[in-house]
Amino acid sequence: MSKIVVLGAGISGHVAASHLRRKLSKEHEVVVVSPNSNYQWIPSNIWVGIGRMKSKQVLFPLAPLYKKKGITYKQAKAVTFHPEGDAIESKPYVLSEYVFGDKKGTTEKITYDYLINATGPKLAFEATEGLIPGENKVYSVCTYGHAEHAWEGLNAVIQKLKSGEKAKILIGTGHGKATCQGAAFEYILNVEQELRRHGVRDNAEITWISNEYHLGDFGMDGMLMSYNGMTMKSSEMIEMIFEDRDIKWILGAGVNKIEDGIAHYENLDGEFKTETYDFAMLIPAFSGHGFKAYDKNDNDITDKLFKGFMIVDADYSSKPYEEWTVQDWPETYQNPSYKNIFAPGIAFAPPHAISKPRQSKNGTVISPAPPRTGMPSGITAKLVADNIIDSIKSGKESLHHKGSLGNMGAACIASAGYGMTQGSGVSITTYPIVPDYKKYPKTQGRQLGKTFGEIGLAGHWLKLALHYAFIYKAKMRPFWWLIPE
Amino acid sequence: MTQRISKYQRFKMMNPILQFFKFIYLSIKIMIVVAGGHGGTRKVD
Repeated sequence: MSKIVVLGAGISGHVAASHLRRKLSKEHEVVVVSPNSNYQWIPSNIWVGIGRMKSKQVLFPLAPLYKKKGITYKQAKAVTFHPEGDAIESKPYVLSEYVFGDKKGTTEKITYDYLINATGPKLAFEATEGLIPGENKVYSVCTYGHAEHAWEGLNAVIQKLKSGEKAKILIGTGHGKATCQGAAFEYILNVEQELRRHGVRDNAEITWISNEYHLGDFGMDGMLMSYNGMTMKSSEMIEMIFEDRDIKWILGAGVNKIEDGIAHYENLDGEFKTETYDFAMLIPAFSGHGFKAYDKNDNDITDKLFKGFMIVDADYSSKPYEEWTVQDWPETYQNPSYKNIFAPGIAFAPPHAISKPRQSKNGTVISPAPPRTGMPSGITAKLVADNIIDSIKSGKESLHHKGSLGNMGAACIASAGYGMTQGSGVSITTYPIVPDYKKYPKTQGRQLGKTFGEIGLAGHWLKLALHYAFIYKAKMRPFWWLIPE
Repeated sequence: MTQRISKYQRFKMMNPILQFFKFIYLSIKIMIVVAGGHGGTRKVD
């Protein structure tokens, strides 16, 4: 009998737990440890943030589902990692603290045979002074709670605009090293469309602020793509959309301080500037959770497990941008020191960025961190689960399932406005996610036929279809496993 | 505002009938890209 502990119940953790439970017999135990009581389909938070969806449409409670499916669920947060056990406990364990119920505040040594760390990122709002969701007129859509709050703020601005007042809206990244530009991109287009729907667009000035060097970088070094029978740069496509929607942009901006209605930022020229706003949605920096790890003698071995995020089978040697290769990226997400620990999704430490790193003249890093969206999170979680399943069934380590971001495609269906007849979406697929400049030297590291963009109503329908399909899958309804990650 | 997308292009982007076929086409194409497999890179030429 094996015991597999999954830390986190986001896209990655939930995918891993559900596949493990489906494919392993009941003699094996699958345990999910998460401080969150609900599963949330994060990509639809955008629509919660414009008031077109309610939170309850993007989430469901985990406990009843896990009980029904035979998955042990502990509403607790990981505190410290003990991959060798300790003087009393011979098995490896994670010290966890309960956050809800009768056991709230108590800790438990949760032992495991295999550990999947799917704790995702910490939303590091504190990395930017004054960037606190709901304060200083700045909001976030990173969680459904934040998105609900953002809609309250946006709605107040819409009412103000309806009374004839003018307003400035600022949307983008809230830190020099932030990622997830895609979510901010979706939100700015949705906000723009909502203002048009309410008949107040002319009273609002909308500005995109980002740490990207070019529009359409998205933390992926931009891309060359097929669009409308042509080959186009993503920067040209996004510029076309922004100009068409009368959205201004500020690039190469590392936001470093937020005051009430004022965003302070440094640009790549080393200039310190400000931008005023009446409503802002800024994505924070992501960071690791700051976990500590100890060996059986209680010595600190954090550097064996963590480098901010969790260390996996990547090449972490420091090298210049020109020497980066797809081979640097992990394939199995296995920790090299402790072979029974894996970190799929956003929990693994990337070897480096994907976009070309840039610093301001003052030495401040202003360039996007690598994004790892829902699709690769799900794919990497499933392959980790499959390797563990194979290892358990064969009785020896099996790592046949591999999935490097340098050999994996992804689709970004970015909502550009909500509505069954008036909605729009920007559908972008990219292959591979991490550009392979050796394999595709003339097309900016990507395969053109598989890297394409489309704009239109179909994109909205597609995003809506994915919303329902993935919530169906997450609820583990009949034949859920037929829906690919 | 600079009109970067022509009226004809916009008509095509928002026409439900044309977009229905585009929806089918995109669904299949995305499925091919995403579900088309993945793997390692270290033993690939």
